[in-house]
Amino acid sequence: MGFAHRTDPLLASYQEISAFLAEVERRAFKQAMFAVRDEHSALDVVQDAMLKLTEKYSEKPAAELPMLFQRILQNTIHDHFRRQKVRSTWTTLLSALGKGDEKDDDFDPLETLSAKSDSNANADPAQLLEQGQIMAIIEQALGRLPARQREAFLLRYWEELDVAETAAAMGCSEGSVKTHCSRAVHALALMLKAKGVTL
Amino acid sequence: MTAKDQDYAKKIVTYLDRGTAELKAGTAYRLQLGRQEALARLADPKRAADLRLAGANAGGGSGTTGVDRPLWASGRLWIGIALIAAAAFGFQQWQVYQQLKDIEETDAAILSSDLPIDAYLDRGFQNWLKHAVDE
Repeated sequence: MGFAHRTDPLLASYQEISAFLAEVERRAFKQAMFAVRDEHSALDVVQDAMLKLTEKYSEKPAAELPMLFQRILQNTIHDHFRRQKVRSTWTTLLSALGKGDEKDDDFDPLETLSAKSDSNANADPAQLLEQGQIMAIIEQALGRLPARQREAFLLRYWEELDVAETAAAMGCSEGSVKTHCSRAVHALALMLKAKGVTL
Repeated sequence: MTAKDQDYAKKIVTYLDRGTAELKAGTAYRLQLGRQEALARLADPKRAADLRLAGANAGGGSGTTGVDRPLWASGRLWIGIALIAAAAFGFQQWQVYQQLKDIEETDAAILSSDLPIDAYLDRGFQNWLKHAVDE
């Protein structure tokens, strides 16, 4: 059945899917960035996830899109790491001089931040600078969290999925989600405190 | 999770939201392009199928082929395979023919050449020749 001929009111319309992707794409990119730590890879991951959603899951109700998309995104990130692992195995085999992924060491979250936009032209520069620094420290701390804790935290609080939806997206129990979230918040609080950041 | 933890998480999320609002223009543009590509496939499933087939044929390249049949059903594929097989068989036959021709030429050269002078000085050869004539 063609998408244009869809009549079931429960199924997501073209406009709903379009609006959903527009709303979620930036957060999805940031999530991918925290995980893969490379802008190009993160963009590829998000694009793959969007393509999978529209190609395979467009026949789903609009209400299921957030959870479905998050599940696809997490799986795509995991696929990225699997491919990277296979590639690095071959690289190690073929070259004894392989130095591993140096990008991890060189990663600087400040580079992911853009220059200040014109809309902030009238704001206090000192305040903007401080906020930018806090933002960078928070993103750096998130990048240092264990992957499962970060996933749980972002899905639960940033994507605002409930515990059951987060558990479904992560493929684990609701109890695990609560544990991961609690540990993530405490770990973040400790890391931010160590950097002198109080929220 | 206590209420205090949840408040703390919400404060962190506020900063994360600011971070997404200030994405680099190039990054935002590439995200937009990715979204449009995904939506284009949604709007036109046939185009999506064609793009997948083109990607399979061209190793990930883009473009449409207008072909609905699977790759293995393509006549061109089987003609190509047959041509390659025929070329391999012809090459192998040519090699066998060349080897036989070389052996023939060597035999003819040996049989038609003069007897070397050393052979007349070889007593063993003289004895063999005498016995061969007697028999």
